[in-house]
Amino acid sequence: MTNPFQHGLSSFARDSTGLPDPVSQRRTSYASVVSGTSALSRQPRPGGAFSHLLNPSPDDLHTNLSSTHRNWRLDPMALPNPHVHAHRNATPDDGAPTMWPPRLGAGLPWFSRTFDLYMSKDPLSPPGASEDGFGLGPSVGVSHFLSPSYLRGSVYLEKLEDVYKARILAEREGHAAKTQSAAALASPGSAHTQGTKLPAGAHRGVAFELVEKPPVIEEDGAVSPLPSKWNKDDKDITLEVLGEGYEVKYTGRSLSDHEACAIRADHYMPTLCGVYYFEVVILNRKREDTTIGIGFSSRTVSLQRAPGWEPESWGYHGDDGHCFAAQNVGKPYGPKFGPGDTVGCLVNFRLGHALFTKNGQDLGIAFRDVNFKDAKGKLYPTVGLKKPGDHVLVNFGQLPFQFDIDGYMKKQQKMISENIKNADTGKLAPPLNETELIQQLVLQFLQHDGYVETARAFAEEIHAEKVALNLDPNEHIEGINIKDDEDANNRQRIRRAILDGHIDQALKYTKSYYPTVLKENEQVYFRLRCRKFIEMIRKEAEFNLSLEEKKSSLEGRKNSRYSHYEDDEEMYEADGNGSWEDQMDTEDGIDGAGVSKLSQDALAYGIELRSEFDMDPRREVSKHLDEIFALIAYPNPLKVKEVAHLLDASGRVTVAEELNSAILMSLGKSSRAALENLYAQTSVLLEDLRQDGGDGAFVTVQSVINDIPEASIS
Amino acid sequence: MSSGNANLDLAGFDLDSSVQLRDFIFAQFAEDLGRMTSSTSTATPLKHAFEARVVDVKSPKSDINALILDYLTMEGYPKAAAKFSKEANLRPQQDGPLITARQEIKDAILNGNIEVAITALNELEPEILDKDPKLHFSLLRLQLVELIRQCNGGDITPALDFATKKLAPRAAMNQDFLKDLEKTMALLIFPHDNLAPELGALLRSDLRQTTATKVNEAILERQARRREAAIRQLVRMRAWAETSARSKKKDLPDRIELGLFGEDGDYHENGHEPMITT
Repeated sequence: MTNPFQHGLSSFARDSTGLPDPVSQRRTSYASVVSGTSALSRQPRPGGAFSHLLNPSPDDLHTNLSSTHRNWRLDPMALPNPHVHAHRNATPDDGAPTMWPPRLGAGLPWFSRTFDLYMSKDPLSPPGASEDGFGLGPSVGVSHFLSPSYLRGSVYLEKLEDVYKARILAEREGHAAKTQSAAALASPGSAHTQGTKLPAGAHRGVAFELVEKPPVIEEDGAVSPLPSKWNKDDKDITLEVLGEGYEVKYTGRSLSDHEACAIRADHYMPTLCGVYYFEVVILNRKREDTTIGIGFSSRTVSLQRAPGWEPESWGYHGDDGHCFAAQNVGKPYGPKFGPGDTVGCLVNFRLGHALFTKNGQDLGIAFRDVNFKDAKGKLYPTVGLKKPGDHVLVNFGQLPFQFDIDGYMKKQQKMISENIKNADTGKLAPPLNETELIQQLVLQFLQHDGYVETARAFAEEIHAEKVALNLDPNEHIEGINIKDDEDANNRQRIRRAILDGHIDQALKYTKSYYPTVLKENEQVYFRLRCRKFIEMIRKEAEFNLSLEEKKSSLEGRKNSRYSHYEDDEEMYEADGNGSWEDQMDTEDGIDGAGVSKLSQDALAYGIELRSEFDMDPRREVSKHLDEIFALIAYPNPLKVKEVAHLLDASGRVTVAEELNSAILMSLGKSSRAALENLYAQTSVLLEDLRQDGGDGAFVTVQSVINDIPEASIS
Repeated sequence: MSSGNANLDLAGFDLDSSVQLRDFIFAQFAEDLGRMTSSTSTATPLKHAFEARVVDVKSPKSDINALILDYLTMEGYPKAAAKFSKEANLRPQQDGPLITARQEIKDAILNGNIEVAITALNELEPEILDKDPKLHFSLLRLQLVELIRQCNGGDITPALDFATKKLAPRAAMNQDFLKDLEKTMALLIFPHDNLAPELGALLRSDLRQTTATKVNEAILERQARRREAAIRQLVRMRAWAETSARSKKKDLPDRIELGLFGEDGDYHENGHEPMITT
């Protein structure tokens, strides 16, 4: 397809070389309009959802990067974007808001700051993203992670988010490397250094890298992304894409009856969602004649035809209110629509129907019994424009919708949870009924995982129930014999030791009960050794904390003679009262020497650990070692938020469970109990049911787990 | 020629029977393998793709532990819940005494001591029975059943008295209650060893079990705003998901084993047929 844009916009967007292009000097800033916010938004909020995944070092780099972007963006009018001007000129009073129908967002334009509050609720939304509006429409949080409200909590969105995070992480790591190489290459004459005005060549290199990477195009990959913009490469040439890819305008002549100009979104509607929804706002000026069709079509459908007129194409047309299901002749469906209206399009893959909404009102099912999920081509959100001046803005979920799609989604979920509630559990493990099955699952898990005492207590309790329910005095109810399983006892002993932080003891037990396990499971052994180091650091940190507490009470007794701990030693010495340790020894009986002893031990152990695993080629090994050795650097790591989590006792649980699984495997037992099988099987079954946008799209195992309250109930 | 034919026949026969034999052995082998995969993790090459995917899916211990503690707490196993939060280092989900209070009420109902249960319930959550006449009625009806059970063949006065004083006034106000009461009173007339199935069901221990569950759920709803342990949802979700997937003709093994039986040889040695000894 020929590209009408002299700036080579489309080729730019698709350019995936990831390297600065010497001939595209001008694109740099242009691109920043299109995807500049993406670079900005990739900076995670401090302490954000994934900040813990990242090494601290690239942060500095990134701060620099985004500040560069910010500087660019301060003066939007200076940007060489013809569309900015074109668009502004088209608006007589330059007051973009006035062209927005008052109905929108309760009397406010969509890009109003009023929505900023709403938008910033998005966990991945960068702090500054909402300030970047140019009055061009919904520039709020443009190409940061798109998470339409109605899909939150779904497995699909979770997967997309994982991909997104992984990409950011990869990019960050890539940056570090790229920056270094870029710096090395930053010599005069190098192709990479034409942007001399920029503060550092490295930054530009990075910016190019971010900008020129295609926006996750993995159409055949495991997770296909959500439609996010209009596709400049999949449109009729007379259409112009504006407003960061959300707006499209017809700039051509009047067309004959059978013609129209269509554009499709960048990605197809993923069936995995179960339900897909988008809205289109008609931006034409009031009283302007419009002929706009909204719907969806596959890529094979001609772009000179309105949605719905061709096979594999469906649409709802504003000039007559008819809907068209893959043929030239429509049927009366809803009201006409025109300037100022918001029209939504909803595809329900599970039920095989589609409906439209107008200004938030459901217009009823337009197409039913259509097997959208098995459509030959993937279906893309599509609009068709016809009259000169026809101009629309799409909301792919980057903004709140007018229609209560969240409510619609909840109804779908409720229908399915009703079905689940009525499921017959009797066939899972006949002859057990649901209550008996759950008792057995729990009991077996407790034994399998070596929770010996719990298993025994539980067995007694369910036995007592059985006795109570027995109405025949002659029948004897046998107790459940929890075998005094030596193995289970051993495993629980080992687990206990780890959970109590006694790693050496756990190592000793493991070596004597299961001599081969640690040799065969090097990774587990490594984790244990590391945990031992962490426990040493932790012990010292805790000791120091308690010392400080003692200290402050001591201070209190002495009527706050000293203002700072740092001064203490000097003060003591100046007073001629002897050394710090002596003082503490005599007054509080705390073995001050213990502190240095502890840290010396930790250091010695650390060195030993390092030398033992130094030759290990695995990256995660050296990474983990670096991570935990960094703990030594802090006077008290427990007080440093960024690293304190490494010391957290919850890390013991992970190590303990890893070891327990390894032992079970070595005994030839399944590493999983039946309950764990059930959990995993459910996940996989739901995945199958999700594939074609069916019932599985609306339920997750996680939602069941999330129902369990974390805190104690009152 | 004829001998050649005979040879051919013979060869054909041999081939046939050896194929049959091979198929038979293979079937046996596959069956054994099927059992093995269901109960042990021995890496077998003939695993169904589904099983392989299951192995790759995570089942985080933290989730499983949460499910267990939630179950022990919600369904009223105070001793096990306390032990578990200790053994697994988990914060108790509900205070011990609260679990014990529910467990005592459950215990009383399971033992048929309905009066004790009602008193304890009124002490724990005084508003529940006032606000839920249906639950109150089913408890009283169970109490009547227990009185009838006690007077089997003997003096029916206590049962009659109880029915007129406590149940009749309530039944007068509600058609469903009235039907339930009539059905229960029929137990006084017919000999218990030869009852119609519908009536016989009233005398089985199931009624105690279901009533105890209802009462427990009512208390939980007040205390925790959840009626059921999450594990119940999970188990139902598993059952529903398999049924749905089969009806959609997804590629699944004939039977998806939970691995509940035979894992540790607790119920029987080989794990061949599911059975339970209690």
